[in-house]
Amino acid sequence: MQKNPITQILVCGFVALICLVFLINAWSLPPGTFEPLGSGPVPLVTAAIVIICCLVIIIGQARILFRGGQIERQFRMEFMTRSPYGPLVTLGLTVVYVTALDLKVASFGIITCVFLTILISALENFRLKSLLPAFIVAVIVSFGVEYMFTNVFVVDLPA
Amino acid sequence: MDLSALSTAILQILTPWSFFMLFIGTLLGIVVGAIPGLTGAMLIALTLPLTFYMEPFNAVVLLIAMYVGAISGGLITATLMRMPGTPASVMTTFDGYPMARSGRPGRALGLGITASFVGGLIAWGVLLTITKPLSILATRFGPFEYFTLIMMAMVLIASVSEGSMVKGLISGLLGMLVSMPGVDPASGMPRLTFDWYLLNGGLQLLPVLIGTFAVSQIIADTFDVQKKPERAEVANDRVLMSFRDLKKNAVNMIRSSFIGTGIGILPGIGASIGSVVAYTTAKNVSKTPEKFGTGSEEGIIASEAANNATVGGALIPLIAMGIPGSVIDAILIGALTIHSIQPGPTLFLTNNDIVWAMIATCLLANILMFVLMTSSVRHIASMIYLPRSFVLPVVAMFCVVGSYALNNTMFDVWVMLLFGVIGFMLERAKIPLGPFVIGFVLAPLAEEKLRSGLMMTAGDISPVVTRPFPLAFTIIAVVLLIWPFWTDYKRKRDAKSD
Repeated sequence: MQKNPITQILVCGFVALICLVFLINAWSLPPGTFEPLGSGPVPLVTAAIVIICCLVIIIGQARILFRGGQIERQFRMEFMTRSPYGPLVTLGLTVVYVTALDLKVASFGIITCVFLTILISALENFRLKSLLPAFIVAVIVSFGVEYMFTNVFVVDLPA
Repeated sequence: MDLSALSTAILQILTPWSFFMLFIGTLLGIVVGAIPGLTGAMLIALTLPLTFYMEPFNAVVLLIAMYVGAISGGLITATLMRMPGTPASVMTTFDGYPMARSGRPGRALGLGITASFVGGLIAWGVLLTITKPLSILATRFGPFEYFTLIMMAMVLIASVSEGSMVKGLISGLLGMLVSMPGVDPASGMPRLTFDWYLLNGGLQLLPVLIGTFAVSQIIADTFDVQKKPERAEVANDRVLMSFRDLKKNAVNMIRSSFIGTGIGILPGIGASIGSVVAYTTAKNVSKTPEKFGTGSEEGIIASEAANNATVGGALIPLIAMGIPGSVIDAILIGALTIHSIQPGPTLFLTNNDIVWAMIATCLLANILMFVLMTSSVRHIASMIYLPRSFVLPVVAMFCVVGSYALNNTMFDVWVMLLFGVIGFMLERAKIPLGPFVIGFVLAPLAEEKLRSGLMMTAGDISPVVTRPFPLAFTIIAVVLLIWPFWTDYKRKRDAKSD
């Protein structure tokens, strides 16, 4: 038995929602003119089966959750036992990094160097001892990659 | 068997540039496979952009060498840190780590390396022997044969997925669904694009792959980024297995290798399942099953022989039918497509050199893996202790570069990030990611075959049950679908009657 019913319900709900959007969109697709199937039925059936499977999981997990009572305790157990600091910082800084590249705020090397320095330091909880190594690694990796990709592999880089 | 083509491919790989690809691929594969949190799938997905401007031959050599190396490298972490470097090495942790803790890390690694080598060789023998006959058989497959084969593969993947079968189905079908936006190949009209022009080209495999496998893993790994692993020292000179050991463990090694190869051949099932089945079988037939889990030599050998054997096994359906034998094979299909090579039964005719490059690399990378691991396992092992707070941000940067390089568009980078979050969420809900990627790769082929089949029969679906192969595939799929529910029902009924 899985021990995270709330997570499973939320994720399956989210997946079902995505599939519902696809299903509604597929419903409005015109039927095929020179072939029997057309472009709509395959996504339609696929989305419908995923929604049914998600409902099976949601109902099963909801029964487990409500049978046990203690929803608040379960919520704490699933979401509050581990600090989300690492994932949130990583995801947040990566989104900022990609936005900066998309807006071409500076060159790839500079943006990447700043990103790596901040992210490595953040994951090291901004310990003073780690700041210099983080900066050195960031400089070597970012400008090294920029040089390698543009001059050796001849692959374009963002920004 | 075309031995002259094989020897030509081997000689070509031994030229300086191709050999460099083989060497760097195997070495990188071993190192990445050994670093917890980094996987072979991640490495290959991130390396794909670098291969865009390579000759397809060298690109294939590099990627297959990485595949072989990555599956083998997981052994090091599993033995020294009780953390499987790759999911394929989970079973090795049960006996490798206790043996290492009891003061014999060199012995544990030696057994694993030799078993990996033997497993790889046996699987390569099977790959060499049956791929061509199977591809000849597959050329007789029509659209309905292909469609039902893919459906059977999807059900098979779902049924052996970690967690429940329903979750495997959700993952596989969701992967199929998100591959569908874009211009409909039959009508030429946009579908599921929500009137957004950026979606007209559909979602590309590479950003979806990098997001699902690499970014989601990075996010998950940052939960306990500060955790320091336990350290076990190892010397290079004690890792070679003696001839007496080889003789003593030959039966287990050969049996596990064949199990791994057989499971590798089954579409969509990777090395993890192969090692689990081989380990369980070895335990069941062992004279000392009580030693399993406490540092059993048989356990290490079974797990490692089988997981390496799945590499060769999994390449068989990829080459012969264009069906991925594992997640990494799904990425390899993407790589071949990027290089304008269509995997499938006609591959022997259209790209004979590429097929033989794959087969020859499988052999040479396996030999090189053995040499590299026995000679320098101590140095490779020291790399697994690199602080993850430094490694993960660098990998994140490579994810961005890798996604961008495909089409030089930031849209792909955002897609990669989105699928990173989706992959992380799915993993948190214990929904396996393997079926998702395989579904994503196989859906266009499945739909194309179904629709062309229906066009040929004017909408008549009956060939699914009137032709022998489609009928067999359909029956297997239905049995696989019903089986878990039936056993569950029987178990509940028996519990009630007790």
